[in-house]
Amino acid sequence: MTIYSFWIFDKHCNCIFDKEWTIPSQPRSGTTNSKQNENVAKLLYGLIFSLRSITDKISSDPVDFLSQKNRIRSITTGKCRVHLFETATGFWFALMTDFKQDDYYDILNHIYKNIFVRFISLNYISPSDFVENEDEKGGQGIRKINNKNFINNLELFLSPLIS
Amino acid sequence: MSSSAGQQQIKTLKVLGEDVWKNKVEKINSELFTLTYGTIVSQLCQDYDRDFEKINDELYKMGYNIGVRIIEDFLARTALPRCTDFNTTSEVISKVAFKVFLNLTPTIANWSQSNDAFSLIISDNPLSDFVELPIDAMKSLWYSNVYCGVLKGALEMVQLDCDVSFVSDILRGDNQTELRIKLNKVLKDEIPVIED
Amino acid sequence: MQQQQQPSNITRRHDPSHPHHHHQLTEEQQQFQLFQESLPKINRLVYQMLLNEIIPTSISVQNRLDESDDNSDAEQLKKLSISEKPVVPSHKLVSQMHEIKNEGRYNNILERIRTIGFKLGCKIADLLVFANNPNLNFRDMDLLAIMKFVCRDVWKLVFGKQIDNLKTNHRGTFYLIDYSYQPIKNFALNDDTNKLSAEELEKKELKSVEPFLELPVGIIKGVLEALGYNAKETICLATYIDLPNEDASHYGFSKGISFHVQVTNTTRQQQP
Repeated sequence: MTIYSFWIFDKHCNCIFDKEWTIPSQPRSGTTNSKQNENVAKLLYGLIFSLRSITDKISSDPVDFLSQKNRIRSITTGKCRVHLFETATGFWFALMTDFKQDDYYDILNHIYKNIFVRFISLNYISPSDFVENEDEKGGQGIRKINNKNFINNLELFLSPLIS
Repeated sequence: MSSSAGQQQIKTLKVLGEDVWKNKVEKINSELFTLTYGTIVSQLCQDYDRDFEKINDELYKMGYNIGVRIIEDFLARTALPRCTDFNTTSEVISKVAFKVFLNLTPTIANWSQSNDAFSLIISDNPLSDFVELPIDAMKSLWYSNVYCGVLKGALEMVQLDCDVSFVSDILRGDNQTELRIKLNKVLKDEIPVIED
Repeated sequence: MQQQQQPSNITRRHDPSHPHHHHQLTEEQQQFQLFQESLPKINRLVYQMLLNEIIPTSISVQNRLDESDDNSDAEQLKKLSISEKPVVPSHKLVSQMHEIKNEGRYNNILERIRTIGFKLGCKIADLLVFANNPNLNFRDMDLLAIMKFVCRDVWKLVFGKQIDNLKTNHRGTFYLIDYSYQPIKNFALNDDTNKLSAEELEKKELKSVEPFLELPVGIIKGVLEALGYNAKETICLATYIDLPNEDASHYGFSKGISFHVQVTNTTRQQQP
């Protein structure tokens, strides 16, 4: 299976992390938080946001909140599939891959639990919220996750999955 | 509130809390927690010269900063989504959050008429084990105020703007330790600002 | 200080007074274990976050004290809006340390953290002494045995793991080495606008974590004080050391910590 890119959005509509693997067999290849990806990030955010608003409206009222709202799990286009994972705190994790696997929930859950929470949320010298003032909200933020432990552990985890 | 679907949900949450506590959490003796917290409070008393208003405020802020981060660990461990109503929120806090972090299950009580506020009655509070407050503190210190901050911060991260405060505390000579959570409003999710 | 012999390396793995594998526990030891297991518990993460929160809180307290020193009239006005002020996030408070030019302020903050650690160390020593652990005989302990106690029992209790390495010259100088000091083991600085060079980033990162090390420094001194070694005659300093496995520095906090402890009066003052 091939992973093309990984994106993290926060509740302020900002893309706080993006990584693109340009050479599939090399986990350390590609770009991290690159300028070129800024526009793609905004488009990706818009796509997910719009589809989410639609699916929320067309789903019937859930009897029990644990059965989860009718959330999008993946979006498939001609060339790739985007897998989505969201947290109740408004973080969206998006993984762009080929078609080999239908569901990447476990992988995204692992990234949240063992990489994001460990190296960001519980890290007292890193922000847990990447916005510092009102001007950075609503998708206008510029701050990114740029923390060596997070990035290295992410690459280490995903590398056996990138063939 | 007492529909069978509601009861089933409460049971599921209880089982979730117990399972995570039992199998997925590293545990330490709570006496260490008690004495560490006591040391922190006594240092604050010294620094702020027994100005209990400042001390309450500082404990609240400590809690807030812990809450905004610990919520992520909580969600990662329990995989819970956002609650659909405040009732469910109360059950999640009582049966899952307090259980997973402190091995406590506070009783939910005193719902307001409009269902926007409830109380948690905490018994066996580990923070206040063997603690005795001096008389001046008994009048104005909310010893476990850190809990209020934690709940405020954690709830804010899931878009619930709440006021959290103590109503009574056995350390102050009251009958029970009661914490009140009032929902002010559900925060609106941000939408991208449209650029011209 | 003259060292007439190389510090000898002491590893505690095969110490008969401290069984690691539970094959043949005495009844006393079994009872002790059962009792420990029956005590009320909480989630270790909660404790670790409380410990870590001591650092930004100590900074916040200093800020508050300095504010009221600067302007005691404005203090009254400030009191009115206490609850309206947004809470400064922990990482921001920690990064403020880096900006402080006033040495007095900086040292006050470190002193506060150390003092909390010290009081904590005293209480922890009491807790462990009164736990009546059949494996520990405090009366017969000399300084070396007490340092081993710190490395094994105190560290295991507070941080969930033992000290990795203890070195001593057998004349009152000790080095306690922790290659993955738990409260900070996953810390890394975030250069969120990508402006710092690699060296600047590392420097800032190490400086940011320094205050966190004052807590264990205080704890060590507190334990020693409680067990008969006066704090005025004990020095404890924390420094960064390179990790034996360089690879590990990329996936977690990049340095290990060495606690240098020097006890000038090696005779224990027994408490009555």
